[in-house]
Amino acid sequence: MIVTWKIVARLCALALLVAILQTSFFSQLWIFGSSPEIALLVVMSVGLLGGSLTGSVFGFSVGLLLDCLLMSDLGALALTLMAVGYFAGRYREDVGRPTRLAAVLLGGLFTFAGGGLFAVIQLGLGVDSEVTGGVARDLLVETLLGFLLVMPVLLLVRLWLRSALIEDGPSQEGRRMRRLREKEKRVEEAGA
Amino acid sequence: MLAVLVVAGLTMLSLYFQEGPTGPLHSGQGLVSNLLGPVEEGASRALKPPRDLINWFSETFDARGENARLRDEVADLRNRLAESESTATAGSQRAKLDSLVGGLVPTGSTPVDARVIGRSPTVWYSTVVIDKGSSAGVRLDDPVVSPAGLAGRVTLVNRGNSEVTLITDSDSSVAARVFPSGTIGVIEPELGKPQNLQLNYIRGGEEIRKGQMVVTAGFSDPALSSLFPPGIPIGRVSEVSLEELQAYQRVEVRVYADLRDMDYVKVLASGSKG
Repeated sequence: MIVTWKIVARLCALALLVAILQTSFFSQLWIFGSSPEIALLVVMSVGLLGGSLTGSVFGFSVGLLLDCLLMSDLGALALTLMAVGYFAGRYREDVGRPTRLAAVLLGGLFTFAGGGLFAVIQLGLGVDSEVTGGVARDLLVETLLGFLLVMPVLLLVRLWLRSALIEDGPSQEGRRMRRLREKEKRVEEAGA
Repeated sequence: MLAVLVVAGLTMLSLYFQEGPTGPLHSGQGLVSNLLGPVEEGASRALKPPRDLINWFSETFDARGENARLRDEVADLRNRLAESESTATAGSQRAKLDSLVGGLVPTGSTPVDARVIGRSPTVWYSTVVIDKGSSAGVRLDDPVVSPAGLAGRVTLVNRGNSEVTLITDSDSSVAARVFPSGTIGVIEPELGKPQNLQLNYIRGGEEIRKGQMVVTAGFSDPALSSLFPPGIPIGRVSEVSLEELQAYQRVEVRVYADLRDMDYVKVLASGSKG
């Protein structure tokens, strides 16, 4: 990913949008007794497209925004989403661009791992009430939703950040250079 | 960079727990929340129709299982009604219930209507954000009720919005009374069961029956007083069991309020509006 100021602005807008949509829309949906973790999938997508540095900084920012919007323990979601962004980025750097099947599997895996990490942080901070099997059931439903929703989320994030992605075709500058080269070639051919 | 972020996250988490509600991190969090509150509220309003549509499908699916449960409940209630009529106490019970749940608004409180604009995305926090804050007279620890019963209490207040910790949150506990027997216990959540609560510290000898109503106890003495006024309905006893060698009964309570799908709540505000 080529990180320019324009892309930073796009990433900031995406972070804001996803944090607001998560709290005011997705968290209020009830699908099989749970809610989709879209923020986590967006962070994972940014990590897969932009690498570990972009992924971890973006994840930390989205998590921090969510912590503020929800007035919850400041730093808990930031740490969780930072880890998701980092490891998704490491996958991209070590393994390469994921295939469709790999992306679907990663969507479920990262949702499960993110939920598990958040649970560990919460248990580390201390929980007063009885923890039931419903927590595991909730995590499994979220994982299932992660499998189902990762492809549309990944496609939308790719579309939003397309101008910064190297493998998704040349940038505006690249297109201009290609047109110039083609024009030069035509002139040479006409001269010959 | 990663190390910097990890250290920053852990430091924030640690400081957040150490400082009070007026500390710099809480203030910064409140500032961001206040700034984005109107956007969140607008998004919540605009996205209500698609949200309701998706939840309608989900509820319809759930309703198939609920139907059988409700049939059992109706049968149980019929039996209990017949029992009550035979002992000729139905009239007095009704009057007692009316006096218990009537006048939910305690003296000195002003009900403030608020809209739910945000909700926690994880099962670990049962909190919602409402669109009323200190400017509307909402104060810390004010009780919050939904049309069906007790919802929670205010745990953080900003100028334009507040956080409500629901009774199903892991940090919540409420002194409660079983109606009509008057047995008092403490309502605590069960993490992972968002519609269920446990009524704890009920001795083995106390007679608690399935279907009985549980309301806030609202005790008060010079040293300590409950945050909730008495008589607010909380839920209905859904299961009672006494395990061997246990001094206390295990009483499960099904919450009246649909805490997962609340759009509006009422804050029983103790502060003056202005």
